[in-house]
Amino acid sequence: MRVLETTKLSFAYDDGTTALRDLTMTLDDGEKVAILGPNGAGKSTLLHLLSGFRMPFDGTVAVCGRKLEQQSADDIRRDLGLLFQDPDDQLFMPTVEEDVAFGPRTLKLDDIEGRVLRGLRSTGIEHLAKRRPHRLSHGMKKRAAIAGILAMDPRVLLLDEPTSGLDPKSRSELVRLLKSMDRTMLIATHDLEAAAEIVDRAIVLNVGVVKEGTIRDIVTDSKVMEEVGLELPAISRLFKELDSMGYPVEALPVSMDQAVAELTKVIDRVGRQARSRGVTKTAGQKKKT
Amino acid sequence: MIVLHVRTGQAAGHLDEHARSVWFGKLDARAKILGIFAFVIAAALLTDPVLVMCALACALVTALLSRLPPRHLAKAYLAALPFLAFASFSVFLFAGFERGISMLARTSACVIALLVLATGTDTFELFSGLRRLRVPGILTTLLMLTHRYLLLLSEELDRMRTARRARGFSGGRSLLDVQAFRVLSNTAGMLLVRSSGRADRIFEALKMRGFSKDMRPWRETRIAALDAAFMLALVAIAASLLLLQMEVFP
Repeated sequence: MRVLETTKLSFAYDDGTTALRDLTMTLDDGEKVAILGPNGAGKSTLLHLLSGFRMPFDGTVAVCGRKLEQQSADDIRRDLGLLFQDPDDQLFMPTVEEDVAFGPRTLKLDDIEGRVLRGLRSTGIEHLAKRRPHRLSHGMKKRAAIAGILAMDPRVLLLDEPTSGLDPKSRSELVRLLKSMDRTMLIATHDLEAAAEIVDRAIVLNVGVVKEGTIRDIVTDSKVMEEVGLELPAISRLFKELDSMGYPVEALPVSMDQAVAELTKVIDRVGRQARSRGVTKTAGQKKKT
Repeated sequence: MIVLHVRTGQAAGHLDEHARSVWFGKLDARAKILGIFAFVIAAALLTDPVLVMCALACALVTALLSRLPPRHLAKAYLAALPFLAFASFSVFLFAGFERGISMLARTSACVIALLVLATGTDTFELFSGLRRLRVPGILTTLLMLTHRYLLLLSEELDRMRTARRARGFSGGRSLLDVQAFRVLSNTAGMLLVRSSGRADRIFEALKMRGFSKDMRPWRETRIAALDAAFMLALVAIAASLLLLQMEVFP
């Protein structure tokens, strides 16, 4: 089922700057899609626009089959969970559990205790339930913000730069968490490495759509990568080096899983070659004797 | 109170932690609010100099018994002292020394009692207590958000101050330093712009989670025997002072 659809979506700021131009995209139920692009590409604007905070716009937006308009925005927001770039913008209650309970309580949803518990548990911050949100580390604040969204059980998660400002450990923990979630997600990011781990499909945005496809399709298109100023993930760079050193890589890996699979193939291939060379050598030696 | 917490900057966090650790901080916020407000109203209505001194003594005893950091209470009181002194001096000029001193003692009693309440109660607990006492939601919500985001803005201001200093700015101490004023006004403008941006984002975050107009505390709390005893003790003191003032007792 199609949960999100935009058709020829265009938006300009009050000062006339075009933020989005003719954007047509879709997001199906259960799909994880990344919006990639440099700063100022319109990624955050797109998420805020989909949430009904940037109006008026040209084109159409439909969320779960309903057309986004001024009148329907409040209703549509119930199906969306927006994670802000700065978690301090969305944590306002005195304790983490109260903050997680805030959405379900204001929306008058059932089983608030259960929702809070599930939200905290799925983000791994049950032990922080009674803590003050503003005293947490940035990574934990992000988790608390995600828990607050999950407790509302939205159809689609809109995540704005989820990995920004995180230390490597918190970043990889968050990536693992998002990867493990079985939810529909639209992630605006310029962190190609994180996107490669989480999403199925990506859209490169630079005011308009530059390219759409898998992360591998995107990273192997050097023209697109250069145009939007994206850098190859470290793992892809490593395999490119291996390729140039004489260890041919079948498909450039973009995530750790792909890298492990590719590395296994390379080692296997090199091992086979070495073995066959060894066999030939031994056969030659036997002939001599 | 918000200003008190924000002015102390990072100390606000330690204060809240300290507030939770002492017996006074563990009392239910509603009991403290009702007891202290009853006392403040009674103290403000006193005119008899002896009773005013009694009220001041009661406020000081409450402050001592609360086991809150005396240095912090003294600092906060000293910050309020110029205003109290100005009001008392005006009374002294027009109504004489005794009345001036009485005014100073009366306002001091009220301020000390309120400082004990503000310092000895976790800020959010205090606002939640007010909401549970049926103070309009719009007011407590505004207080909660103001407190939450003033702390963030004060951190932002700190960062801007550090950035200014890192680039050699050391002005702002002289009223004749025009260049410094230009820099400071730019800082104020930038802070305003950032605050406005943050306000927009907070509004959007509130809307995303279905907010309409009220931020009610989630968990219900009960007034225990100790809370009730504290509240009743303060109410009894306030009532006694007023009855003595009205010469009900022979």
